[in-house]
Amino acid sequence: MKDNNNDIKIGVYICHCGSNIAGTVDVEKVTNLAADAPHVVIAREYKFMCSEPGQDFIIKDIKEKGLNRVIVASCSPLMHEPTFRKACEKANLNRYLFQMVNIREQCSWVHKDIKSATEKASALINAAIRRVVYQEPLETFKVNVNPNTLVVGGGIAGIQAALEIAESGNKVYLVEKKSTIGGKMAKFDKTFPTLDCSACILTPKMVSVAQHENIELLSYSEIEDVEGSIGDFKIKVRKKARYVHDNCTSCDECTKVCPVQIPNPFDENQSFRSAVYKTFPQAIPNTYVIDKEDRPPCRETCPIGQEAAGYIGLVAQGRFEEAASLIREQNPLPIVCGRVCYHPCESECNRKFVDEPIAIKNIKRFVIDWEMNQYGGPKPPIIEKKRSEKIAIIGSGPSGLACAHDLALKGYEPIIYEKLPVPGGMLAVGIPEYRLPKKLLNSEIDYIKGMGVSIKTGIALGKDFSIKDLFKQGYKAIYIATGAHKSLKMKIPGEEEFVGVYHGVDFLRNINLGNSQPVENRVAVIGGGNTATDAARTALRRGAKEVTILYRRTRKEMPAEEAEIQAAEEEGVKIQYLIAPVEVLGKSGKVVGLKCINMELGEPDSSGRRRPVPLEGSKHDLGFDMVIIAVSQSPDIEFVDDQTNFKLSKWNTFEVNQETLETNVQGVFAGGDVVKGPATVILAMGYGKRAAEAIDKLINKKPMRDFKTHINKILPERDENSRPHSYAPKFKDTLKKPRIKMKELDPKTRCTNFEEVELGFSEEEAKQEAARCLNCGICIECHACERVCEAKSIDHNMKDEIIEINVGQVLITTGFNTLNCNSLIPYGYGEFENVYTSLEFERIVSSTGPTQGNIVMKNGKEPRAIGIIHCVGSRDINYHPYCSRVCCMYALKFAHLIKDRTKAEVYQFYIDMRSFGKGYEEFYSRILEEGVNVIRGKVAEVAKFGWSNNGDEPLIVRCEDTLIKKYREIPVDMVILCNAIEPQPDAEKIQRLFSISRSPDGFFLEKHPKLDPTATATDGVYIAGCCQGPKDIPDSVAQASSAAARILANISKEEIEVEPIQAYIDPELCAGCRLCNNLCPYGAISFDEEENISKVNEALCKGCGTCVASCPSSAATAKHFSDEQIFAEIEGILE
Amino acid sequence: MIEKRENTSIIPGVLGKKEKHLRDSLLQQILNIPGGESIKKCIQCGCCTGSCPVSYMMDITPREIIALFRAGEIESILSSRAIWICASCYACTIRCPQGVQVTDILYALKRLAIDQKIFPKRFPVYALSESFVSLTNRFGRSYEPGLILLYFLKTNPLKLLGLVPLFLKLFFKGRIGLLPKKIKGRETFSRILREAEIMEMVVPVQES
Repeated sequence: MKDNNNDIKIGVYICHCGSNIAGTVDVEKVTNLAADAPHVVIAREYKFMCSEPGQDFIIKDIKEKGLNRVIVASCSPLMHEPTFRKACEKANLNRYLFQMVNIREQCSWVHKDIKSATEKASALINAAIRRVVYQEPLETFKVNVNPNTLVVGGGIAGIQAALEIAESGNKVYLVEKKSTIGGKMAKFDKTFPTLDCSACILTPKMVSVAQHENIELLSYSEIEDVEGSIGDFKIKVRKKARYVHDNCTSCDECTKVCPVQIPNPFDENQSFRSAVYKTFPQAIPNTYVIDKEDRPPCRETCPIGQEAAGYIGLVAQGRFEEAASLIREQNPLPIVCGRVCYHPCESECNRKFVDEPIAIKNIKRFVIDWEMNQYGGPKPPIIEKKRSEKIAIIGSGPSGLACAHDLALKGYEPIIYEKLPVPGGMLAVGIPEYRLPKKLLNSEIDYIKGMGVSIKTGIALGKDFSIKDLFKQGYKAIYIATGAHKSLKMKIPGEEEFVGVYHGVDFLRNINLGNSQPVENRVAVIGGGNTATDAARTALRRGAKEVTILYRRTRKEMPAEEAEIQAAEEEGVKIQYLIAPVEVLGKSGKVVGLKCINMELGEPDSSGRRRPVPLEGSKHDLGFDMVIIAVSQSPDIEFVDDQTNFKLSKWNTFEVNQETLETNVQGVFAGGDVVKGPATVILAMGYGKRAAEAIDKLINKKPMRDFKTHINKILPERDENSRPHSYAPKFKDTLKKPRIKMKELDPKTRCTNFEEVELGFSEEEAKQEAARCLNCGICIECHACERVCEAKSIDHNMKDEIIEINVGQVLITTGFNTLNCNSLIPYGYGEFENVYTSLEFERIVSSTGPTQGNIVMKNGKEPRAIGIIHCVGSRDINYHPYCSRVCCMYALKFAHLIKDRTKAEVYQFYIDMRSFGKGYEEFYSRILEEGVNVIRGKVAEVAKFGWSNNGDEPLIVRCEDTLIKKYREIPVDMVILCNAIEPQPDAEKIQRLFSISRSPDGFFLEKHPKLDPTATATDGVYIAGCCQGPKDIPDSVAQASSAAARILANISKEEIEVEPIQAYIDPELCAGCRLCNNLCPYGAISFDEEENISKVNEALCKGCGTCVASCPSSAATAKHFSDEQIFAEIEGILE
Repeated sequence: MIEKRENTSIIPGVLGKKEKHLRDSLLQQILNIPGGESIKKCIQCGCCTGSCPVSYMMDITPREIIALFRAGEIESILSSRAIWICASCYACTIRCPQGVQVTDILYALKRLAIDQKIFPKRFPVYALSESFVSLTNRFGRSYEPGLILLYFLKTNPLKLLGLVPLFLKLFFKGRIGLLPKKIKGRETFSRILREAEIMEMVVPVQES
């Protein structure tokens, strides 16, 4: 091509466009200049090139003068490029040898000076003349159109379009974000100007959608990802979990028992709804939904996944029995947990960002105490089938008991072997009586025994039997949960030497078992954990005169529970911080004191706590008669013998598979402190429950995965600016309510006996405390709905699904949002309770709304006068410069409804009354006849009346009545703000997903505002309804039908012509660097392993040019936009 | 009944001579105000009047002023009291949905009134305003005896005599002084004022 430039014959045609171009551009001069340019054979000017005679010039000249390039300088190619391309094709000239120059929109219309406009037009034409030389003929190709269509948004526009397309026999996927279709129209009571009932005309269409065989409704779903182009889009849709299956019968039993009440967004937050709900009675689909955002942190952080928020919600409503059964469903040792749990739930409770966490442990204790008082204990559970497989559990601590409990529920009859003479492990011998009375512990153990568990005490593994023995006896699985009962030594001089030095757990064990344990007058307890406080308080109760806890860090780092430390201090225990003993001092074989050294805090260590560092020269002696060392414990693993080789860590803990708890010995599991090292009751129970599930899987020969038992999760960061759920205020704005403190025995008298210190909550206290719960994540998982659901539809474990669909075309009907009125301070929204937004008032007048359609104020009285303010945030450069188009008419509708239902005076404050549609002006006239006051003037502000008699506080609307040229203050009881229609908050996301554009106002941009209002710049993607701009229902429906027609036209064509403007990779030049492969946004470039070059897939390439720009060896070129074409064009302009 | 008015011309699209002169002088002032152009965008909603804390005392409302300006009735604006009542709180400007700089336009009108000496009848607020500004410009702060003197000399000198007893009473109670109090750095202050006037193009820039 480049070498036979001489054969190029160009024809240039310059259009006057009436006076549109000729008025500013000297067409004659431009034509003469063009005629002199190289290769130009003919240059003509004509009044209207787009007319039939204009086109005939081109056709004739091609035929007669043998033109092989054609340039038309006229309007935008968006308008007439297809016209002239067709003309060229009529004369057998390839359409890509034609070039259009825009000298109207880009020249004559934007310039005033004839001389410079002429120069510019000439430069633009010259550029085209230079460019067209390098243009090459290209062949268009066709793609098949997938007849399926995706409609995004189930408002009235989406419903209308979906039905029209489906009626033609083609499949439609209707994706709706909310749980029901119907959109905003479902909220309205009446529609203007005909005043027909919105529901009556909308719901039949909604039902048709549900029943239509060609419509697949994906409600509660959002578009995740879009790939492909016209004819073949691949769409990923996230179907959010409804937590209710489709077999829901809509019986509404669930909402009656749900303890959660949140503001109902369908009623614009003017009423409340439960967490399980159906948006409105005629909702489609008919299935209920559970509103579940994040899982509550109390449950997430609990090692056994106890649904604390659930029973707290039930307690708040006084439903103690249900609460007790919910606790028992997940917790095998609720009496223990209600008293001694380390409650990680409270540490993570969101309420801590407001004031103090909920007293979850205490509420649990109340519920279980209530159950015991009411029924004398729990009813034994029904265990369906008994299993014969033998399972042994070593250790009857919390881990062993939890494991036995869960296995018993599954029908097994496990046997627990306990080394100590009493069952309960640390619960029995580590925790003092005053915290956990033995009687209660035993009732808990008896309950588990009642389920078919047997406990053999005083039999020690390693001494009385071995692991091998158990397998020989036919045990199928063994769970080792022997805990950490061995005290760690401090390894300081004198520790082993003198009488009067004891170790924490040994001391507590002796007391708990009733063994002889002397207690002296002055007692030192070394350590900062719960064992230290337990030992200190026990020593006090056993007659010690003075007890001192020595701890090497500060109170902030102390691992013991804060409540325990406080209780110890109240009882008179002294605590010395930043001090550590270095030697036990003794005289004649007996302890006389400790040599101590002061410490200071250095850098944080691996646990995140600051490491204590000894202070040089601070050694001093303290006098004591007895020393209890409670620094830490380790597992006592004397039972490990040579016959079974367990893998142990350097801390003598068992190494297990963290998910399945299997040890290296087949059939042997381990958990609790023996794995974790000394930790908490609840963590040990978590291990026990997991082990029970693992053992069940082993016995049933199921794969060791997909475990259901909960494992405590690390929670995401939150702060005081977060919210418990999206309908709640921020933590910092939440009303403060202090935590209720549990009553305790008097510290003065209690330290002489072992009576239980904490006295529990009263019913009223428990309810009050439970009412502080913030309902994190909305659904609190109390499972009350599950229990009443006869259809068994509710499934709290449902997960989001990703569905992939293939469609040929897409229609976007995502609708609108309304302006948030909080930013309009002068109108007092949010400050005065009787200032409403238009949607709020729509719900007020709706018979299914919060007031059943009665127009009343917040105090329940009928208003005497109502002001309706138009143009709130519309026609206002501070908010939205555009007119929202529907406000005037719905404001008139409101006026009519108010007049119809009340005696109130109505004032319409308008700037210009826009009643433009069919029957609208007549409606305006009708409202005037009804005696509505219309005041022409924008309201400046709404204020409270300065003073009031008899508590009557009307609002004052200040404005200028522009028609009487007077400033007026009009007293009203209620104000309705006709707030602006604005784009949906997620419009940007939709814009990106479908690569469409938005106009400056934020609404989706149509291809042409007059001639193509439903198409977008992206082929195959259409828009309809308010997502394109504010419009009323008739217009939305009309636009939706028109979009449906456009889509059906393409479907019936079956094939669509696609512009061949695509990338091409020259195989000679490609170096195979693969840079373009990943850059291509359409995945159109693949690497040919055999030839070692990249290749473009023409069906996918959109001709965006990314590869062209990135190619280091210039192998990639864009057809019709090659480098030489562009350079020639630039040179032409600059010439 | 058609009233033939001096201001109106009978040639289509042409303003009367005086009105044209007023309009041109005002437009020159308005175009100096940042955003002054937006006067063309006024949609006559009356939000300015509604927001105005003193509009209830105005004989024509702020909105009407803009309407009159458009209608070629600048003389009736200048002969109204409204522009002199404005308390410069800028509420109208802040709330205007079209960004019209109402307060600044009223200032332009006040300057035009002073230039053209067109004032409302029996409403000498402009005289008070002039007196106040000239004294403040001179001393850097208000000088009350001077203000009273200047104002009444300009409006009703006879009334001054009647004020003497009140003045004496105030004087002996130490509520009013005889001599003006001046601020420090008056030189700098007048330079600032001068610059501001040049910026506002109240006075033509003199070539030095």
